[in-house]
Amino acid sequence: MLEIYDQVQEACAFIRQQWNHNPHAGIILGTGLGSLVEQIEVEAMIDYDQIPHFPRSTVISHRGRLVCGKLCGLPVMVMEGRFHMYEGYPLKKITLPVRVMKHMGAQLLVVSNACGGMNPYFKSGDIMLIEDHINLLGDNPLIGINDDRLGPRFPDMSEPYDLHLVDKALELARKNDIVAHKGVFVAVSGPNLETRAEYRFLRAIGSDAVGMSTVPEVIVAVHSGMRVIGFSVITDMCLPDALEAADVAKIIATAKGAEPKLRTLVSGIMDYERARLGKA
Amino acid sequence: MMKDRVAEACRKIRQERMLFPEVAIILGSGLGGLADAIEHPTKIPYSQIPYFPVTSAQGHAGNLVLGFLAGVPVVAMQGRIHRYEGFSPDEVCFPLRCMHQLGAQTLIVSNASGGLNPRYISGDVVVIDQHINFLGQPSRPDYVDVTLSRNGEIYHRGLIERAHDHARRNGFALHQGTYLATLGPTYETRSEYRFFRKTGADVVGMSTVPEVLCAAEMGMRILAFSIVTNVALPDHSTSTNHLEVISWSEIAAPKLRHVVTGLLQELAGPAD
Repeated sequence: MLEIYDQVQEACAFIRQQWNHNPHAGIILGTGLGSLVEQIEVEAMIDYDQIPHFPRSTVISHRGRLVCGKLCGLPVMVMEGRFHMYEGYPLKKITLPVRVMKHMGAQLLVVSNACGGMNPYFKSGDIMLIEDHINLLGDNPLIGINDDRLGPRFPDMSEPYDLHLVDKALELARKNDIVAHKGVFVAVSGPNLETRAEYRFLRAIGSDAVGMSTVPEVIVAVHSGMRVIGFSVITDMCLPDALEAADVAKIIATAKGAEPKLRTLVSGIMDYERARLGKA
Repeated sequence: MMKDRVAEACRKIRQERMLFPEVAIILGSGLGGLADAIEHPTKIPYSQIPYFPVTSAQGHAGNLVLGFLAGVPVVAMQGRIHRYEGFSPDEVCFPLRCMHQLGAQTLIVSNASGGLNPRYISGDVVVIDQHINFLGQPSRPDYVDVTLSRNGEIYHRGLIERAHDHARRNGFALHQGTYLATLGPTYETRSEYRFFRKTGADVVGMSTVPEVLCAAEMGMRILAFSIVTNVALPDHSTSTNHLEVISWSEIAAPKLRHVVTGLLQELAGPAD
């Protein structure tokens, strides 16, 4: 863990050469959700492979570049394409961009993902605001000697997601006629999808949606003292008694279809943040 | 290879102090003060023992202490090795293998934990009678002497009963319960607490299970305690902080010391 601090400094120094601003928020776009970038007044685009210490995204449907600019008038840093544990990267490598966002000045992390819905009241294409999570990755990005400059040894996780922002997002969804739920996200390492028995288990332990990302980034955001809001797009329903074979093309199509909803909610949250900052 | 490394470490330890300990003690939260109660102690910094894992974190003592406690020759680890520090199960268990090689046939271990059982309150002491291994992989040492049979109890029934006796004699009661080990270092989310409750666990912590699995493989008698330093109430979210954990474990520490010294006195037999 002790090498991370210097790596963050070097990555930030590199980014500042091209975009010398303090972002208000860092945004991570999940599978099939990349076109939110169209909404951004782009000021700089940097490929991951140019940034020192950044890993390289190996997944199709994940671009692999950092987009810096303004969203709803607020400076933001957007990760178009993210990293996953199943790509073989250590979790502290996957989460390095979050530390970079924080070090550039971001106070808020907005994460999104495409995931499987297990709560039978959900429908494919719905949005779920992540209210809490369960870490079933069998790993943690904070393993190692703690660097107190980055955060505390034992971060409290009683409220990893800003529940006030969750309520705001649900309010925005109602106003815009978007079906949104709140629920518990469980992270597994993947890359295989779950068996029916595993879905039953995951449902029984109290989770509403399952995915292969997000939790490492959120743990690091909490460790570094950021507020977090998480959006899950339900891209297929995982009901063990009526399970259909997963079809990646279909999942990506559903994510694309749901993307305008996500865009509305994320920009709504940004508007809210800007208004909040204006008052302060 | 592992055997050679253990032998080399033990040679160094014996050069410092020729003692055949009967009991190995891992001084987790709540037992820390016991190290100072050890009579005629020899303290060997981990950094001076070959192959011992060294914590580079500040403020960690990191000594192997050999001496007598309640008349019993003991070897104690002052300063613990945790998985969340980045050590492998083999590294975490290396000192224990050495303590066993030096002669210890009994392991006494303690930790601080979060209470999942709603009947527990902060400051309670739990004698562990089962555990759930939630460390992810790899959770047990690669190096295995013998295969662990499933019919053996890991935690020694007789010692558990004796621990209850000593607690009663000192005017308090121990809980008996199941410890669930996570990798840490994050405390649990509310949803994780709810999940762990459903698994049947009474307390949750970030240690003990690697050492216990290793000790069980080596055929040691095991007695483990957990101090409840905060009670998880997932429906009434409260934050957990490390200072609170430390202060509750200090409050409960005297209870644990009574039980452990009582047990050791019993082992030593009646005074001449």
